[in-house]
Amino acid sequence: MNYLFQRLGMAVMLLLAVSALTFGGMNLLGDPLFNILGPVAADTSNPTSVAKIEAAKEKYYLDRPLPERYVRWLGDMVTGDFGVQFSSTGEPPVTNLLKERTPRTFQLLVLAQFMATAISIPWALIAAARVRRPTDRISTVTSFLLIALPNFALGIILKYLLGIKLGWFPLTYTASDPFFSRLHQLILPALTIALPAAAVYQRLLRTDLVTTLQEDFILMARSKGVPRRRVLVRHALRPSLFSFITVFGINTGALIGGSLIVETIFRVPGLGSAIVEAILREDFPVVLAIVMIATTTFVLVNIAVDLLYSVLDPRVRR
Amino acid sequence: MTPRRGSGRARGLIALMAVAGLTLSACGGGDAADEPADEPATEDTTADTEAPAEEPVTEETLVEETIAPEENLDPVFGGTLRYAIEADVDGLNPTRNNISAPGYVILNAVFDNLFAYDENDVAVPFLAESGTPSEDFKDWTVKLREGVTFHDGTPLNADALLVNFASLRSSALPALAINPFFPPLNDDGTDPGIEKVDDLTVIYHLLDPQAYFPAYLTGQLGMVGSPTWLEAALEDPTLNQSPVGTGPFVFSGRSEDSVTTFVRNEDWWYGDVYLDAVEFMPVTDADLRVELMLNGEIDALHTTHFPSIDTLEAEGFKQVIDETGEESFGMINVAVPPFDDIRAREALALAAPIEEYQLLINEGLGTRANGRFVPASPYHNPDVVQVGDDIAAAQPLVAEYCAERGGETNPLLATTTCTDGKINMELQWSGPSVVQSRIADILEAAWSEAGFNVTRQEIPQDDHIIQVAVGAYNVVTWRQFGAPEPAVDNVWLLCRTIGAISLNWPRNCDEARDEVLLAAAASTDPAERASLYQEAEQMIADAYTYIFFNHTRWSNAFADNVYGICDRMLPDGAHARCYSGGAGDLSTVWMQ
Repeated sequence: MNYLFQRLGMAVMLLLAVSALTFGGMNLLGDPLFNILGPVAADTSNPTSVAKIEAAKEKYYLDRPLPERYVRWLGDMVTGDFGVQFSSTGEPPVTNLLKERTPRTFQLLVLAQFMATAISIPWALIAAARVRRPTDRISTVTSFLLIALPNFALGIILKYLLGIKLGWFPLTYTASDPFFSRLHQLILPALTIALPAAAVYQRLLRTDLVTTLQEDFILMARSKGVPRRRVLVRHALRPSLFSFITVFGINTGALIGGSLIVETIFRVPGLGSAIVEAILREDFPVVLAIVMIATTTFVLVNIAVDLLYSVLDPRVRR
Repeated sequence: MTPRRGSGRARGLIALMAVAGLTLSACGGGDAADEPADEPATEDTTADTEAPAEEPVTEETLVEETIAPEENLDPVFGGTLRYAIEADVDGLNPTRNNISAPGYVILNAVFDNLFAYDENDVAVPFLAESGTPSEDFKDWTVKLREGVTFHDGTPLNADALLVNFASLRSSALPALAINPFFPPLNDDGTDPGIEKVDDLTVIYHLLDPQAYFPAYLTGQLGMVGSPTWLEAALEDPTLNQSPVGTGPFVFSGRSEDSVTTFVRNEDWWYGDVYLDAVEFMPVTDADLRVELMLNGEIDALHTTHFPSIDTLEAEGFKQVIDETGEESFGMINVAVPPFDDIRAREALALAAPIEEYQLLINEGLGTRANGRFVPASPYHNPDVVQVGDDIAAAQPLVAEYCAERGGETNPLLATTTCTDGKINMELQWSGPSVVQSRIADILEAAWSEAGFNVTRQEIPQDDHIIQVAVGAYNVVTWRQFGAPEPAVDNVWLLCRTIGAISLNWPRNCDEARDEVLLAAAASTDPAERASLYQEAEQMIADAYTYIFFNHTRWSNAFADNVYGICDRMLPDGAHARCYSGGAGDLSTVWMQ
């Protein structure tokens, strides 16, 4: 239990640091009034506009010192109030945007992680079973190729091959379509995220499997006549999963980052494309909200991974 | 004082805007050979307007429909049309939001206009029953049709027009396009610009004689929204995303940057609507729009990308093509250094890679522009030629400028106007768009060679329009002009539309030019108008505020199973103008 509290305490400190840095950075970039009021913010010669400018400053505490604004924003955020979208007409709450877009990114990332796992485990087992043979060598080259290939390049290649040439998958995402159509539309973007992740997972798992296969208990199993495939799956896989699980957790952050580009390439209106647009428009509340969601997700996934270690190996708890 | 941006603010440009676009850009009405798919539901086809008929500007050779005759196919009900547009819009309220070409595509589904252009570019009554000018063309009496209701059940009447006008007048950007033409509000808040006569009639009171005022009512000013909705939207501006009009389609849902959906208006006052629904999907990349069309994921698109138009033609898609409308050009802000100096502007124009632009961007397919009007227009001035491709002539001007004024400040970049003998400037465009980035590459290369240090900026289109409106730019690529009635384009040129927020984007005031333009707007003599507009063209060229690249070629393309394109008949029996500035009407469209 102490271990859990320790991890949670560190997570809170991390979130506070990220929030302070992001909030400070966003406020240094430009004048939020411009996004709130549009051209009126520049119309300082017109008394009506000046009144609007003053009202907006008061409403959004823009006339207060930065630390006070940060504390107010933080207080609102922990109660689920992320403020309003400065750059959208009518300044709707950021939570409206998050409610609409988070499920799409969540679906995309879950699908991507599922694909990455489903691809990497059998791939690693096959490579480990044929270590240093041609199959393993081809597998190594393939995995390095996928790791080296940038997301946007892979996305374009997949889009061309599987979308345009073969016509197996749609090229774009349409939010108004039924759920299963949208799931179908997410396959290409998810695959774009999943393939490099699968390659990373495969490299680590293969290495761990090769090491595990040299352990005494594996020799014992083999000497008892347990079939090779059963040894791999039942005996070698579980103790080889530590690195895999660690990277699975850490990689969540990279996948969220990857979704920024992939969502843009495939027109998926999720958090990734939202933050790109928000950065371009300097819509600070939206940027802050998405950064906090991404960071919190990353931290929670990694806490879950840490907890999973202790399940897999009780020695970690000590 | 020059509006200042945040230091990290990217600003874009090239938009195609009609922002305050009380203007619908021009376009070609096609050959209008197709038979109308439906007849007006109204009995009233005797609507009259006493506006002077103007001569058609459309040039047959520049307007092309690649749509085969439809062999008397009977329209069928049903189907959802997916339409890819080049950008999303920040809102769907014509009285509050900036409406560019894709905005018009969307809003035409849900709103009807008081007036509409017929195939000869004459604005004739549509939602209005008539429009009658005073003798001096300063007052226009507009009478509405009886019995029309908005989608929310609110009746269309004079009070609705008053609410629409008031909402427009108090808006941030759209108001800029109309306030300069109407008297200011009275001290008691009443509006002398509009007067209610009876339940269905109002009089618009203008500041200047406007012989072609109905042309203004074919655009944003003439789109009529439900007063119930407009008043609610003033309290809760998020309702600007949920429009309520009288049009052929009813708003159904909107996921910004993904899809905006409308369903059939079963009780449209003007007749049957065939499609079950229309979905507008913003796809900013021109190549991707074509790929989606080829892949069968969309049924229609609009584009100004020449290679895309070429591909669509090669693949045999139905297209409505015209280039009688907007012009594509570079635009220069003259309000701040370095381009407040005509030498810097002239150098930029001289160094502009016009030929390379035609070859690499338009792939040799476009028509080079020398001014606002196509050669076939009576307003075209053959003596005006766009300079460019002359880097050697530009370099001495740059050197002269830097020697004299190189130590001043470029407020946009917060640098001196010159560094090491080169003029510092920012080039902005709207994106993300591969094509626009390529244009920036070409311009940057030529201008760098001529002696300009070019800082690049790319931002989303709607934000970009605002930046240009407040003057937070040096040079942008842009698309504009081309209204079927050129008087409507005066809003972009008059001194009176310059301010902290301007629609005269370059902020170039020329009183003499104003006189010429206003005289042309008041004249009903075609010869006099032609002469005045030609004179104005020379004045525009002499100021070096625009670097014209080409006449924008708009294509509205449709899949094979889409029919009834451009079939709308107007209440007076004339064929409606087909597509204009990339936007058109979907009320007669049907799918098999």
